[in-house]
This record gives sequence, C-alpha cells and structure tokens, in this order.
Amino acid sequence: MKIKLFPKNEQELSKLFVLIFPLTLLLSLTISFLKNAYFTFANLLPNNSVFNYGFLDRLDTQAALGLVFGASLCLSFSYLFSKSLGRSMVLFPIVFLTLLGVVGTEFLDILVNFFFQNSAYDLGNSSLLILLKILVVFGLFGLATLNLLAKKEASIFASAQFIYGAVVFYLISLFIVRAELNVFSDIFLVNSLYTGTHIYVGVAFIYMAIVHFLMTRPLQAVLFNKTLSSITFWGFLFLLPWTNFKYYYGSVLPNWIENISIYLSMSLVVPLLAFLVNYIKTIQSKEVDGVGSLNLLNFSVILFSITTIFHMISSFENLLPILGITNFVNVITYGLIGSLVLATISLSYYLIPKLYGREVNYSRLEDITFFGFKISYLLLLINNTVLGVNSGYSWNAGANAGSPTIYGEGYGIVWSLISFNFSVNTFISLLLLGSGFLYLISVLRAISSGSITTVEEMVYSND
Amino acid sequence: MRRTQVSDLVNKVAELLNAPVDLVQRSAEARAQASGKSVEEVLSSWAGGESVAASATPAPKEEATVEEAPKEEAPVVEEVVEEVVEEVVEETETQEVVEEVVEEVVELKNESALSFISGVLLVGLFTFLFAFVIPKNQATDIVSDSLNNSISASNEVIKGAEVYAELNCQSCHTQNVRTLIPDTQNGKVLKNKFANETLINNVGNIRLGPDLSTSATREPTNNSQWLTRYLSDSTSVNRDIPHPSYDFLDDDDLEYLVTYLLSLGESNE
Repeated sequence: MKIKLFPKNEQELSKLFVLIFPLTLLLSLTISFLKNAYFTFANLLPNNSVFNYGFLDRLDTQAALGLVFGASLCLSFSYLFSKSLGRSMVLFPIVFLTLLGVVGTEFLDILVNFFFQNSAYDLGNSSLLILLKILVVFGLFGLATLNLLAKKEASIFASAQFIYGAVVFYLISLFIVRAELNVFSDIFLVNSLYTGTHIYVGVAFIYMAIVHFLMTRPLQAVLFNKTLSSITFWGFLFLLPWTNFKYYYGSVLPNWIENISIYLSMSLVVPLLAFLVNYIKTIQSKEVDGVGSLNLLNFSVILFSITTIFHMISSFENLLPILGITNFVNVITYGLIGSLVLATISLSYYLIPKLYGREVNYSRLEDITFFGFKISYLLLLINNTVLGVNSGYSWNAGANAGSPTIYGEGYGIVWSLISFNFSVNTFISLLLLGSGFLYLISVLRAISSGSITTVEEMVYSND
Repeated sequence: MRRTQVSDLVNKVAELLNAPVDLVQRSAEARAQASGKSVEEVLSSWAGGESVAASATPAPKEEATVEEAPKEEAPVVEEVVEEVVEEVVEETETQEVVEEVVEEVVELKNESALSFISGVLLVGLFTFLFAFVIPKNQATDIVSDSLNNSISASNEVIKGAEVYAELNCQSCHTQNVRTLIPDTQNGKVLKNKFANETLINNVGNIRLGPDLSTSATREPTNNSQWLTRYLSDSTSVNRDIPHPSYDFLDDDDLEYLVTYLLSLGESNE
C-alpha cells in the first residue's frame, strides 16, 4: 500500500480520501454514540464538561454534517469530477491543497470545540473558523468553475453537475451562517436556509453524484435518460433550499415563505420520480452482475426515497404543528446523511481495486457490515419518526388542554412517553458504531491483503 | 449452444470496445446482413482481428466517457452504422465500422459549461435573495416600524445568555417557538424586536426538553436557590429526567446563567 504525501494526480489523491473517509465516519459515529448514550446512562456517566448532552450534540453535528460531509465531497470531487472532464485537472496542486483544506477546517472545528469549549462559540461558527472555511470553499468553487470551463468532454456528466451544485450551495450555506442576527425571526431564517443549502442540497447532491456514477460505469450500464437526470438536478436544486421553512409554520417567519415552503416541499415528487425512473431503468440495462456493494447502493436509494417522501408528507398543514420543531426534523437529516454514507461506502469498495490494485473479497465481514449499516439507518428513521410524532403530539395535547406539559412541571409525562425511543437511539448508534468499525477493518484488510489486480490507469493529456 | 457462443462473442467484443452489448449486437447484425457473413463470423473477426485489437485498448478518456453516455444517443449510432454498412464491404472497412461505433457512442450532446455554471449560480442567487435577504429585510422593517423595538438586558443577563449558548442549552430547550396558538401567544418570539445576537440564538430550533420562555414566572424555576441546586446536580432534584449537571461551571458563570434564566418570562411589551 503506497500513499504519497504529495499526490501527483487525481487517482493518487483519491487513494488518500478512500482511506480518510472510514476514519472520519468512525469518529462521527463514536461521537454520535456518546451523545445518545447520555440519555440512557446519564446517571452513570461522569458529570463533566465533555459528558453532557449540549456539548456532545454540537460535536456530533460538526462531525457528521461537517467532517463526514467534507470527506465525501473531497472523495467524489477528486475522483468523479476529474473523470468527467476528460483531462487532467487544472491547477492540480492547488486542488489538492484546497481539498485537504476542506477536510482540515472541518476537523479543526471539532478540535476547537473540544479543547476550547468556553470560547468555542466565538472561535467556531460565529467568527474565525467560518471565515477560513469560506476562504477554502470559495477556492474550491473557483477551481471547480475553472475546471468545468476547461473541460474537454462535450457533455457535462451528471456526477460533475451534482458535485458542482453541492459546492456552490455549500458556499452559500457558509455565507448564510455568518449573517447578522437582528430580530428573532432571523434565527429561523438562518437555520432553515442553512439546513436547506448545506444539508439538503449539499448532502443530497454529493449522494446523487456518487449514485449517478455507480449506477452506470461499474455496472456497464447506460444512463437511461439524460433529460431525467437534468430534471432531477434542477428540480432538487431549486426546491430543496426552500423546504425547511415549513417546520416553523405559524411562527414569526413571514407567512408567504412558510406557504411557499409547503408547496415546494410537495413538488419534490417530480425530481424524486425522475431520479427513481432513471435509476431503475439504468440498473435494468446493466451488463455486469455481482458487483459486491450494489445492494448497499440499492438500499441507499430506498433510504433516500423514504426520506424525501417523509419530507413531502410532513408538508401537510395538519401535521406540521405535530412534527415541526421536534426530532422528526432530524429524520430528514439522518436519512440524507445515511444515504450519503451508504453510497460513499459503495464507492470506496469500487475504488479499492481501481486505485490500490487490490481485490475486495466480499466475505462474511462485508455482509455483516452492510447489514449493520442498512438496518441501523432504517431503524434510525423509524425510531425518530415515532419520537417526533410522540413528543409533538404530547406537547400539543398539553398546550391545547392548557395543561403545563409544555413547561417544566408536566415534562415527566412527556419524558415517560419518549424516553424509550431515546434508549433505542442509543442501541442504534451502537450498531452504527460497530458497523463503522467493521467497515474500517474491511477497508484496511482489502487494501493490505486483497489479491492483486490491475490498477486503473488514466492517462490524460491537456494538449 | 450456438446462441451462447454468439452471446459470449458479443460480450467479449463489448468488453474489448468498452461499448454497450446491445449496440455491438446491432452493429454486428447490420454488418452481417451487408456482408453476407454470419453474425458469429463478424463478431469473431472483431474479437480476434487486428483492427479490434487496435481499438481494444481505448484511451482512458474514452473509458470515462462511456460511463454516462445517454441512451438517447443510441439511435444516431445505429443510423450511422447502417449508413456505413451500405458501402462496399472489405476487411479494412470492418475496422472503420468498429472504430466508428466507439466514436459515435462517445459523441454526446454538446453542453456549454458556461451556461451550466451561469444556471447554477443564478439559482443560488435567486435562493439567497428570495429565501433570505428579502424576508430578512421584511422582518427587520416590521420591527423598525414598531414603537418599542428593542430589548434591554443587563450585562449579567447577556453574560448568562452567553454561558447558555456555550453549553448549547438551545439544542434541547426552545423559548416559545411552538407552532400552535396556545404555545406562541405568550413570550418573546411574537414580539419581534432588535435584540442581542446571543439572545436571539438562544431561542432554539428543536424542542427536546421543556420550553423555557416563561420559566421565571413559574414554580419552582423562579427560585434562584432551586435553579442553582438543579443546575449543579440535577439528580438531586429528579433522577428520572437526564438533565446534565453543570457542576464544572465556576461560581460566576453559574450565577450569570441563573440570572439569565430568571430573566426569561419578563414582559417584553
């Protein structure tokens, strides 16, 4: 196994990110487990500045939505984006440094929060680090634009389109989070649009980029219809940023933006159908069977579809008071992140033979890993939906009856209803952590002791 | 048996050319019809012939390109292949046909990178303007026009709000942002006012624990001694609800936090 400190081309860079991704995922899943374990073992854990829910929750958000997202973005950018250009990347050394910067700043965010908790609020998202992130992502945006303009292929492939869309909206999300807060509605605006651009568009688009690649090339299938993939791209790009406002229905946000959010959320059915038809028809035309991680990819599509359907269902006006501002909102995030993780794992298994020249032996270890991830993410979605509905219903029942359940006194009643789901969340996150650990072992095993195979060679010319 | 052989040959040629199987099959059939040979013979010549060998090591650029070639391009390829097979057939032309198949597969609709980039940036700009800048200004204008448009908070309260934000209390507690009327009719959020950034950030987005907007108006959370005890060791008050204990806070920070919590629920009229 050879990983060069200063990669000379896109493939050598991709090798690095194939290795980084499982590590970031394991870190994220560990923090997530600690966070969830807090609810189940609050009385057993030591009471200190690390083992308290608020701190772990912030760290978990940064690890999952920052670091894991960043690692996936870098892996797909270094491998898929360059493949779509038909030439070597323009300014490759700067691309290398910028991609390292993306993962580096996200990791730095976690470190700053861990070691400088008291000043994290000033150092973190609100000032210094966010400026650095903006600088790095702006650099990535510039390089992506430059490379697209210098492309040699006639067509812009779907994967490159989605990656570019993700980079642009990632940048926008960083500008939004920097916005000044003047009045109370600002926090809802900032939070909604940040979620819409960073999580909904950013995560979903990296996921889409990987799926559009994996459903064609490794299976030797031909993309069923480019128009459908364009509908998927432009549809999600236009709709997704608007879809989080609805969860603040009835709040101080302007009514028009809440209503638009409801209607646009329902319109997600159009790009979703376009994507599903394209995926199913493309997969049907596959020429190669037995791609080991195909079932993981298929499951990620199911997970993504369920998440989007939840997104649409929650737009109904009668359901919004129950679902808004509860754990249900997290279901959408979990679903998207889960889909991205499954797709990236699938991509990494495809890339190991191509980049490292080592066959992946799909043994019992991989079967258990795949099963663990699939069942965990599915359970996570179901459990948090139940949790959101239960808590939302009890809050509202209490509020309507004029009883104090929405305040401190009656909280015991609510907690007795939802505490079981928090314990289940702990169990699920333990399953995920175990699967993440097995995944890391599986990748290391394949890279170090897999049978030798031909390495993919890409000899591009910039002439 | 023969069918299996043909199928194997098609697969082999497709693999060599890195082209879709159905395309190779159609091309071979067209070639066979034009030349009077059997499909098997045509495929054999392609699979073993020098011409194929020459094109069987396609440049990696082509490899990358074929992956997402839209299927809708296939009819064009077919037409071209049929056009070619109408010409005089010789062994050298077989090579041309095969190469043409590969070339045509990768010939895609010409898309302008500039238009695509402009499109994405326009959607981004549109979203930023209409989903953020305009509603944000709208909300600020409404507040600016109101008579009482600012919240006054003491330094101790602001410091307490900062401790509250650092501990990320807003990840569990809201301050009256529920969407039902009984929930939202009381409290700060409906009274849009200019406020300290930390106070705004503390409003919270997801409710896990109780809402705190009126905590200072109710028993026992209006009691500073009770609050201090609860925040220092929550299990001494209630073991069932997993509230964090903040005994790691220094005395000043704990006092600021209590002062801030006791300010919640004051009238903002």
